[in-house]
Amino acid sequence: MIRFLGKRSTPKKIDHSPQAHPASPSDELPESFASYRNRAQQHGPLGGQQQQSQSSTKSAAPSSSAGAAPTYGNIGGRSASQLGPVEPAKGQYWDRNELPKRFHRARWTEAEMEALESGGASMSA
Amino acid sequence: MFSRLLPRTAARGALQAQNQTPHIIRATPVTSCLQSRISQRRGFATPTEEKDLVIVGGGVAGYVAAIKAGQEGLKVACIEKRGSLGGTCLNVGCIPSKSLLNNSHLYHQILHDTKNRGIEVGDVKLNLEQMMKAKDTSVSGLTKGIEFLFKKNNVEYIKGTGAFADEHTIAVNLVDGGETSVRGKNIFIATGSESTPFPGLEIDEKKVITSTGAIALKEVPKKMVVIGGGIIGLEMGSVWSRLGSEVTVVEFLGQIGGPGMDAEISKNIQKTLGKQGMKFMLNTKVTQGDDSGETVKLDVEASKGGKAQTLDADVVLVAIGRRPYTAGLGLDNIGLETDNRGRLVIDSEYRTKIPHIRVIGDCTFGPMLAHKAEEEAVAAVEFLTKNYGHVNYNAIPSVMYTHPEVAWVGQNEAELKEAGVKYKVGTFPFSANSRAKTNLDTDGMVKFVADAETDRILGIHIVGPNAGEMIAEGTLALEYGASTEDVGRTSHAHPTLAEAFKEAAMATYGKAIHY
Repeated sequence: MIRFLGKRSTPKKIDHSPQAHPASPSDELPESFASYRNRAQQHGPLGGQQQQSQSSTKSAAPSSSAGAAPTYGNIGGRSASQLGPVEPAKGQYWDRNELPKRFHRARWTEAEMEALESGGASMSA
Repeated sequence: MFSRLLPRTAARGALQAQNQTPHIIRATPVTSCLQSRISQRRGFATPTEEKDLVIVGGGVAGYVAAIKAGQEGLKVACIEKRGSLGGTCLNVGCIPSKSLLNNSHLYHQILHDTKNRGIEVGDVKLNLEQMMKAKDTSVSGLTKGIEFLFKKNNVEYIKGTGAFADEHTIAVNLVDGGETSVRGKNIFIATGSESTPFPGLEIDEKKVITSTGAIALKEVPKKMVVIGGGIIGLEMGSVWSRLGSEVTVVEFLGQIGGPGMDAEISKNIQKTLGKQGMKFMLNTKVTQGDDSGETVKLDVEASKGGKAQTLDADVVLVAIGRRPYTAGLGLDNIGLETDNRGRLVIDSEYRTKIPHIRVIGDCTFGPMLAHKAEEEAVAAVEFLTKNYGHVNYNAIPSVMYTHPEVAWVGQNEAELKEAGVKYKVGTFPFSANSRAKTNLDTDGMVKFVADAETDRILGIHIVGPNAGEMIAEGTLALEYGASTEDVGRTSHAHPTLAEAFKEAAMATYGKAIHY
């Protein structure tokens, strides 16, 4: 007979690397998944994560689908706080413009410039 | 930083207002000037508040995800263009059809099944308009209920058509006019599905109808042809057959109910529906349709080729399936692709190739069922908040709400044969069940399919009264990995229809008592 196994708990180790959806008829992910992630991981802290995940995949036994597909980390699989410091390695430099648009410097508007230059007086004019 | 540039009393309120909608600032000449200046420039943060989760589509997948996300404390917005929540299921699908199925069954029973029960009924008339009103009342009550749940769980409901402007931004054409945009750290696509049209027939929802038109006909058609003998076709065919239509179902395959329904169960329900007056043309294909006249003419012939004939109908119901609905979503703007059947491609955690964009419900893989969409909605939100979600695609029940109902979960005999699995079968007829006898409602049976060696339940198939409720027990058993003996040794109340379930389990590992 069925016996109570205890309170349901989340597995301690979860592999968040992209794998084919269980209801997918092809049972594999298209190449675009890998290429998007590779492109996204070229810059920024996720690049470090990619290297990390690649080295960890080498030591771990690959799963069936991971064996067929290239290893490309797990963007979105870990929270930002777990990704470590956002600093380039020694001798490595980033250009801000290579990052997604939201990290680019925002331009000052005329109104802001005017407010600064006039000490705010122009805003009440 | 700029607060120093403002008068002390105005600054705090003005800067707070920048991050809130609607802007609440006392309208003095000075503050209104400041407000316009401030609203023109950008702040150091994003100009509009970024949501933790934006959901495109307020159907079953979308609204459940929105409520769950609200419960988990996420800032969430749900975009829906229909003007009412609940999607196809609540507005033009499961719910209105169930209202019509229930009330048409009552009407049919009062007409044909009262005398032998000792009930003398006088003149019985159909008031179709009132029947439709009853349906509409059920629908509006439920859709408004979801709006209430949105408010309760702090979900922002945006009435409009959403399309991707970029990977984090949805541009929305508002239903009431105007435009807005909403940004999300995460985005769920839950845009659902639409009826697949039949080539050569133009859907006008009057003469040539889909399921949407089938729940809103103004009068009972004299003759109705249903193209497609799947669940939707049989349910809606049942409704209009009970109300007086002469219904013929044309099905390409050799059985009704679709490929998931067990062949033995399919034959059983076909026989019963046939007794109720529905006609079936199996292994038959529609080669051509002509809807130019007052009636619709359909040329049909045997699937494998054969003698052609022409069917004439006042109304043709096209029920050949549904297809994912992603038109106008701006997928090209972000480079998301669909597969050859229009489904958005996702991984096992519902992520598209762009990891913060996930897809749930009918517009991606798996059966197009509302309860499957609900499960996915909860799991997808849990992947965001708990890093772990769970849906067992092997234990999702299917129900056909004809009378008797048909319900199943797990694998059928044909699938097991194809997979080369050794199995055993146990059945129990409702004609041997005490409660079915007292109800004078004994058509149907319960069937278990279990592993020949381990006795683990592999599939449960029911045709009979209340099958849709009974399958819940079967799904639980399958989810728990139960054996038929686990079910057979569990006490079931007497006299209930559920005893047939227990006895079918007993018949699988041993022998039923009452048969």
